[in-house]
Amino acid sequence: MLNVDTDRCTGCRICEKICPFGAIAVVDKVAQVQANCTLCGACVSRCPAEALSIERRRASEEELRSFSGMFIWGECEERAGKLIPKKVVKELLSQGRRLSDKLGQQLSVVVLGDGRLTGLDTLITYGADRVIRCRHRLLSRFTSEGFTSIVSALISKEKPSVFLFGATPHGRELAPRVAARLQLGLTADCTGLDIDEKGQLVQTRPAFGGNIMASIVSPYTRPQMATVRPNVFSVGEPDSSRKGDIEDFKAALSPASIRTKLITAEQLADEGGVGIEDADIIVAAGRGCRKKENLALIQELADALGGVTAGSRALVELDWIPHTKQVGQSGLTVGPQLYIAVGISGAIQHLVGMSSAKTVIAINKDPYAPIFKVADLGIVGDAMEIMPMLIKKLKK
Amino acid sequence: MKILVCVKQVPEITDVTINPETGTLMREGVASILNPFCEYAMEVALGLKRQQSGIELVAISMGPPQAGSALMRCLEMGADRATLLSDARFAGSDTWATALTLAEAIKRIEGDFDLIIVGKQAIDGDTAQVGPEIAEILGLPGIMYAVGVELAPDRKRARVKREVESGYEIVEMRLPGLVSISKGPMIRSVSSFQEILDARKKELRALSASDLELEQDKLGLHGSPTQVVEIFPPLVKDRGELIDGSDAEAATEKAIAFLREKSFI
Amino acid sequence: MYEITSEQVPSVAFDTIRRVESSGDILKDYGSYLLDESKLSHQGAECLFFPTTEAELSAIFREMAKRGVKVTLSAARTGIVGGAVPYGGAIVSLERFDKVLELRYDRSTREWLVRLECGVTVRDLNTWAMKKNFPGLYENGSPETKRFLQEYREDHATYFYPPDPTEMGAALGGTVSTNASGARTYRYGPTRNWVRWMRVMLASGEVLEIPRGKYFATPAGEFTVIDSNGSETTIKVPTYSMPKTKNAAGIFSAPNMDLIDLFIGSEGIFGAVTQAEVALGRWANPISIVLFLPSDDKAIEFVQLLRSEKGLHPEFIEFYSASALDFLRIKQKEDPKTVGMPIIPDYAEAAIFFDIGFDPEARDNDYSMLEALALECGSTLARSWAGYEQRDLERFKEFRHLLPETTNAIIAERKKRIPELHKLGTDFAVPDEALEEIWAFYKSKLEGAGLEWVAYGHIGNNHIHINIMPRTIEEMHLGLSIYREFAKKAVSLNGTISAEHGVGKIKKEFLSIMFSDKDLEEMKAVKRALDPGLMINPGTLLDIVRKNEDTRLRKTGS
Repeated sequence: MLNVDTDRCTGCRICEKICPFGAIAVVDKVAQVQANCTLCGACVSRCPAEALSIERRRASEEELRSFSGMFIWGECEERAGKLIPKKVVKELLSQGRRLSDKLGQQLSVVVLGDGRLTGLDTLITYGADRVIRCRHRLLSRFTSEGFTSIVSALISKEKPSVFLFGATPHGRELAPRVAARLQLGLTADCTGLDIDEKGQLVQTRPAFGGNIMASIVSPYTRPQMATVRPNVFSVGEPDSSRKGDIEDFKAALSPASIRTKLITAEQLADEGGVGIEDADIIVAAGRGCRKKENLALIQELADALGGVTAGSRALVELDWIPHTKQVGQSGLTVGPQLYIAVGISGAIQHLVGMSSAKTVIAINKDPYAPIFKVADLGIVGDAMEIMPMLIKKLKK
Repeated sequence: MKILVCVKQVPEITDVTINPETGTLMREGVASILNPFCEYAMEVALGLKRQQSGIELVAISMGPPQAGSALMRCLEMGADRATLLSDARFAGSDTWATALTLAEAIKRIEGDFDLIIVGKQAIDGDTAQVGPEIAEILGLPGIMYAVGVELAPDRKRARVKREVESGYEIVEMRLPGLVSISKGPMIRSVSSFQEILDARKKELRALSASDLELEQDKLGLHGSPTQVVEIFPPLVKDRGELIDGSDAEAATEKAIAFLREKSFI
Repeated sequence: MYEITSEQVPSVAFDTIRRVESSGDILKDYGSYLLDESKLSHQGAECLFFPTTEAELSAIFREMAKRGVKVTLSAARTGIVGGAVPYGGAIVSLERFDKVLELRYDRSTREWLVRLECGVTVRDLNTWAMKKNFPGLYENGSPETKRFLQEYREDHATYFYPPDPTEMGAALGGTVSTNASGARTYRYGPTRNWVRWMRVMLASGEVLEIPRGKYFATPAGEFTVIDSNGSETTIKVPTYSMPKTKNAAGIFSAPNMDLIDLFIGSEGIFGAVTQAEVALGRWANPISIVLFLPSDDKAIEFVQLLRSEKGLHPEFIEFYSASALDFLRIKQKEDPKTVGMPIIPDYAEAAIFFDIGFDPEARDNDYSMLEALALECGSTLARSWAGYEQRDLERFKEFRHLLPETTNAIIAERKKRIPELHKLGTDFAVPDEALEEIWAFYKSKLEGAGLEWVAYGHIGNNHIHINIMPRTIEEMHLGLSIYREFAKKAVSLNGTISAEHGVGKIKKEFLSIMFSDKDLEEMKAVKRALDPGLMINPGTLLDIVRKNEDTRLRKTGS
């Protein structure tokens, strides 16, 4: 509860102005808290009369000290018959290295799979001090129940202080199940991570569709858990001279604990095997492309530049493109060198998915389209006229 | 057979803007709606209810009193009854506290469910955590990112088509279980006026914290392991160059020069 | 009083006004200014002006008068009878007159009033009023306006601007000049009912400021306009009586009439409305309902019953004939997302779309009388679509506008092959009692003519749109002759030939079905009095030449 000490409150209205949610108002010279107060605490520190307070639970220092070490889930994918760590793990390693150095603690990567696991020493060169490997035939493919059991067991044994996951479809299922099992705080889709003066992990993420940023901590639960979208952090430089260990974690896992069964898998064709999350050049289409037939131009432009196509949520809802190509808050995050947004207005939910792009070109009829705020080059005009001409020139 | 749909009322995010000077959210005139992904969950549940007989569909939400209007929409769409969990003591709940409260309510009042369907994520929080957390707390198997659900003839299993990074998977799950939905129909459904009137005769009840007998320290802010410590507006990048595209020839020349300069061609 | 003095406007150098001065340049780079939504073929223009103030507009009028160049007024160009289409001469675009000037509350009439420049669109006015946010008003308004703005925001009720022409991108000045109407005219009346004050610039470059309720015609039906030099002009108000229906045809006339009403609906031929003050109405939280019925006749029966039902006050009543629903079904197959609604059920042969008041919070809503009406007409409330959330109201509204937009798009496509084609839309309305008769007449003429047509529209005002979509020039002429018969029938039933769209350049021949030569001469007399040089909006509403010119009427192309 946000408490107002009515004796101290002077009705100065500073809290009213500070509150991002309009959830506190001065009525008859006293601050009154509204039902939509989220207890974010923005007003508490700013009240000059110190009339505002929020009671928060405290964990004992002793309890907190018994947890140490930073863990990263080393999610793997199948490639050419092997299980190899995904690119997002390397992105997390570069951040993890920075944070564990600040904490003065060990950085470990947890990898689950079977005998096909390979490439784990590269995790050391990218910054891990240790790789903990768990191999079991029931871990040969991802199941949330199987992986939750192993990861939870490992956490209970190792007691890390921080656990990071890539916010991939699997990560976004695994992390909350682990958090729920162990009753931990979990922050999703972090775009920033840091350590504060208390040694806590400060997790920053967009909220309200991306309209505001929130910084979050988990003060009394350990490990502090966070998921990070692919392409938000960059991969650091590998250092082949780095030394580290690969340990095995033996775990018991029975078939009865896994209650889902894969019946079939359908792979959608990728352009030259490159998904949009890994692509360097992306040409993305939005509703401004007007007709499904116009997407052929998007493909042509992508081909001429050697890139891949993608699109906004609107096009997925229309069934013009598959979900594998959706960029945005409820889709994928991309981090290409070049992102060309065609007929995309640039609603904040879309921007959140492509803000990691290094260079952005936007084409839109509306000069006030928000996409122009993030574009390095913006062209105000009819995309259907501009694209054919651009394609023609590129082909020359 | 009983299907539960957990839903959330959210502001219409596309209408929310931020005051660039004060960094505050401008929520005047922003409508409150049933979260789109929750509406997709309702559509999937209704699809199952229509195909087969003897399915009871219950909608549940945790929120302030006005969230009742989102539940009313569920009733208009075809839910049989609805429950709102509303209490000032729930305020400040993060995803864990929310999932715990919902799971507790489900155990207490609808414990004989067969399937829980939820939306992938809420468009104001975008965490996609509450679904999996409810599944875990209730000890259920779960399938996320579903685009279609079918029931086995014996109604003891569900077959779910779901999105994965490279395409789709068909996964079978033993019931009771939980599914989260990531895509809905292209056209939002419309109720008839009769359905709208009938909805108001269906049961829509409200439960408070005391009805759930949850300990104080598990609720709301006290029960939330994550805490927001700061809110600030996102950094806005400096605007780049904006050129007039009405002369397509000139505009494309500039674009080519730009691409060349940045070494993309 | 019956005398009014026009005021001079401060002068500005003519050369400073932004313009495009060659007909070639206009054709090449500003081609859209030569057309409006009627797709009527233009006759070119020699210059195009973009004034931003009354001073600039006045300078333009005076210079054009000096050079003997005609002036066509233009802003959003959404009109569908060619009002903004130039027949040579100059085009003056008032699109830069886009500011909100004032907001105030009139305690005597208990109305919120908004004062705006003529180029503001109806859509923007409505959005600002409903969202309680008028751009620029807080920063630039007087302290009194700021106080009123605060009061407006604290007022819990929601307000809106009731006149709702289908094309909400229309400019306010245009809607005032044409007395625009829309679906909600059924409950709230046309634009005329909501205009409380205006400033109108005459051909002389001087401005009349006219509040409603101040200037009235003498018992003899006369006004006197005195210019800043003291010269007097007498205006004789026409003596005919207006039809008893929603009407947008001809100059308004009534005994002892208010001067402001002379300008409203005059299609700009007397001068340019530069500013207007309009009242806002209270938004009654509505629910949109589309009721599906088994036949056109049953739909019409339902309308009569709905209108006479005492407990219900529909905001508007709209009609979809069998032809319209079939048309929409085809569109749904091609492009489901544009239609945006579920598949139209097979049992639906016709539909009536209406908004009534609805309280979503109330648990004891009793609409049994509505169900009774539906049952009597072979339907039931279970066979309907309904929605009350803001986004559903928007969606239903877009659905309502889909038909006219689609038929317009089809004409635009066909016009590429056959440039002489233009849209043929009826705009006739009759009194309530004559609804069945006129519908039977329409159907009897259309069935058997072998044309492509849809019927829909503001049936609450007995104003059914018949859109014939000609595929050839021959079909267009056949359609026109059928329309002439419709017009005569509507007039014979005491109706009007233009309930909404106005006369412009396209419907002049229909005007002469409704008004006698004497009536038209009376209208021309007013025009000659206010614009002796016949400078403004040539070809619109009246075919008129200067008295000492060739008396052969110029044939205007169509």
